Amino acid sequence: MAATERVAGPGALVAAALALPGVALSPAAQAQSAPDAAFVQFKYLDYRDWQGGGRRMRVDSPGFYAVKPLSDSLVVEGSLVYDGMSGASPLYFNALSGASGEGVRDYRTAGDAKVTKYFERFAVGVGGAYSHERDYISRAGTVEVRAWTQDRNRTYAFAFSGAADRIHTESGAADRESKYVLDFLAGVTQVVNPTLIVQSNVTYSRGHGYFTDPYKLLDRRPDHRRVLAWLTRANQHFPDSGGTLKAAYRYLDDSFGADSHMLEAAWHQSLPQGWSVTPSLRYLSQKAAWFFYGPPVGSGLRPGQPYTADARLSAFGALTPGILVAKQLDDGWVVDLKVEYYQQKSSWKLGGEGSEGILPLSARWIQLGVGRSF
Amino acid sequence: MGCAMPRVRVSFRAMAAEHEIVVDHDDERGAREAIDAAIADVRRIEAKFSRYRDDSVTGAIARAAGGAPVAIDDETAALLAYAATCHALSEGAFDATSGVLRRAWDFRAQPPRLPDRSAIAALLPLVDWTAVERTPTTVRLPRPGMQLDFGGIGKEYAADRAAGLIAARGVRHALVNLGGDMRAIGGQADGTPWRIGIRHPRPGPDRPAAIAWVELADAALATSGDYERCFEIDGVRYSHILDARTGWPVRHWQSVSVLAPLAVVAGSCATIAMLLCERAPAFLAGQAVAWLGVDGAGVLRGTLAP
Repeated sequence: MAATERVAGPGALVAAALALPGVALSPAAQAQSAPDAAFVQFKYLDYRDWQGGGRRMRVDSPGFYAVKPLSDSLVVEGSLVYDGMSGASPLYFNALSGASGEGVRDYRTAGDAKVTKYFERFAVGVGGAYSHERDYISRAGTVEVRAWTQDRNRTYAFAFSGAADRIHTESGAADRESKYVLDFLAGVTQVVNPTLIVQSNVTYSRGHGYFTDPYKLLDRRPDHRRVLAWLTRANQHFPDSGGTLKAAYRYLDDSFGADSHMLEAAWHQSLPQGWSVTPSLRYLSQKAAWFFYGPPVGSGLRPGQPYTADARLSAFGALTPGILVAKQLDDGWVVDLKVEYYQQKSSWKLGGEGSEGILPLSARWIQLGVGRSF
Repeated sequence: MGCAMPRVRVSFRAMAAEHEIVVDHDDERGAREAIDAAIADVRRIEAKFSRYRDDSVTGAIARAAGGAPVAIDDETAALLAYAATCHALSEGAFDATSGVLRRAWDFRAQPPRLPDRSAIAALLPLVDWTAVERTPTTVRLPRPGMQLDFGGIGKEYAADRAAGLIAARGVRHALVNLGGDMRAIGGQADGTPWRIGIRHPRPGPDRPAAIAWVELADAALATSGDYERCFEIDGVRYSHILDARTGWPVRHWQSVSVLAPLAVVAGSCATIAMLLCERAPAFLAGQAVAWLGVDGAGVLRGTLAP
C-alpha cells in the first residue's frame, strides 16, 4: 500500500471498497468462504428399479453427513453411508430376465472425510474415501485447490484424485482383480452479476484394470478407459419472483464409445415460511459402447474380444423428472424430500434409433433428509 | 407473495446520528441476534475511529502527529487505502486530513459567524493527504496538529459490515439505515424492493418531505447535502462540506444521492460529487453509479432524475 494508489476506470471505487474487511457485494454474489456454522444431516434413500415390469433392485441406504469448522479457516467434513441392497443383480437384457432369479443380497458401508484449509485467496482440501462390500473394496484419495479473485467473483478449481479398487467374487468370476482410476478436474466459476452465476468444468478420467461386471454372463470389458466430460452450469436468479433457473449441459466422450449428451433444467422457487420447491427435468442421450451387442445374448461375441449386454451401455435416451421440497424450520433445522423418476428407452435416443430389443428401464429415488446447522 | 414473515425493527443512536435496522425473517429470535451483532459492530467502529474520543485509533494517530509512526491494524490500513483512492479519484477534493478545518468552522455557534480568513489560512498547511506517510502497518502524520477522520467513509463502511453480518446469519431481507445512508439485503419479504424517500434539501410547509423515491434491493443509497450542518449569513448558505484546497464550503449542489452496490461507495461518491461541484456528473458517470442531484436552483439532475 504505497501512498499513491492510482486506480482509475469505471467502478474503481467499488473495486477499492471490496478490499475493506467485511465489505462484500450482496450475499448472492459471494463465491467462496469457509462455512461459519457446523451442519449435520441424516439422509435416507430408498431406490427401486424395474425393467420390463419386473422389479430388479432395491437399495435402502441411511446416510450421515457432517461439516464442522474447526476454526475460521479450517473445515472438516465427512459422510457415512450404509446400503442394504436386495434383488436381482443388474440384468443383461430382458431376454435373460428369467436368469436373474438367483438374486443378490449385499451390504455396503462407505465413508469419506475431507479437510479444507481456507486462506485469503485460495483453499486447499485433502480427502480420502473408503467403501466396502463383500466383493468390492475401494480406496480413494483427493487433493483439490480452489483460488478466487480478490472480488471473489471468479473461482478456479483444480482437483486430482485417484482410486484403487479390489474386486473379488465368491463365484470366482473376478479373482482378486483390481482397477485404478485417476481423475483430473479443472473448472472456473464466474459471478457474472449478482443474479447470474456460470460454471464450467472439464474432467479427464483415465483408468486401467478390471472394468468388467462379474455378475453378468459373458461380460468382458476393455481394461483401459478414458473419459472426458465437459460440464457447464448456469444459475439465473429472478429477484422479482424469488425463483432461480438452474440449467446444465454435459458432453461426455468415453473411450468405451458410450458418448453422451446430458441436459438438465431446474427451477428453484422460494416460498413463504421457509418453504422451497425445486422441480427438475434431466435428459440423457447415450451412444452404445462399441462392444455392446443387443439380444439374443451372445450374438456378436467373438473369442478374446470385449463384449457386454449391459443395458446401461446400450444406446438410449433417458428422462428424469424430479422434485425437491425443502422446509427451513426454526433453530436451523432443514427437512427435505427428493423424489426422482428415471425412465430409459432406446427410442428416446437423440436423433434416432437406440439399441434394438431392450425393454424400457425405470427407477425411482425417494430421499428424505433432516439436517441442522449449529 | 403476501407472506407473513415477521418484521423486526430496531432503532439506536451511535456516531452522533439516529440509526435503524429493519429485518424480515422467519425466525424472530435469529433476526434480533443478527441485529444485535450488527449494532455491536457499529459501536465497535465508532469507538475505534471516533474523532471525539481520545482512546480511538484516530485519536492516537493525531496525538502522534509530528512524531513517530503509529502502528495500525489491517482494518485501519484498509480504510486509509480506501481514503487514498478517494483522494486520487477526486483530484484531491476528498481529503481525510481536512477535519482539522472544523477548528475554524463552528456550525453550532449562535449567532452564526464566519471564521477569520487568517484562521483558515493557518490551518490549511495541516490539510495535506499527500504528506501522510503510510506503510501497510504504520501511519505517520508529519506535522503537529494534523488529524485524520473517516467522514464520508466510516459510517457507510459500518453499514456495509452490518449488512454482511446480518446476511451471514441467513437473513435475506433487511435494510440497514445508518443516519440516512442505507444498505439493503434483498428487498422486503413480500418481494417488493425497499422504497426510500430522498429528503427535500429545502423543506417547507408547501413542499413534500421527500423530493424523490428510490427503490432499493441488494444495493446501497447515500446522500450528502448542504443542509446537514450549516448556517446562513446574508442569504448565503455555508455548509460543512469544505473544499480541502480552500478551506471554504463548496456551493453548487443542495444535495447529491448516489445508488451503488456498496454503502461505502455510495457515501464517498456523494461526498466527492458535492466537492467536485459542476464536475460531479462526469465523475459519477466514471464510477458507473446511479445518482440524483438537486442543484443550486432546486432542479433535479442525474440518472435518477425524472
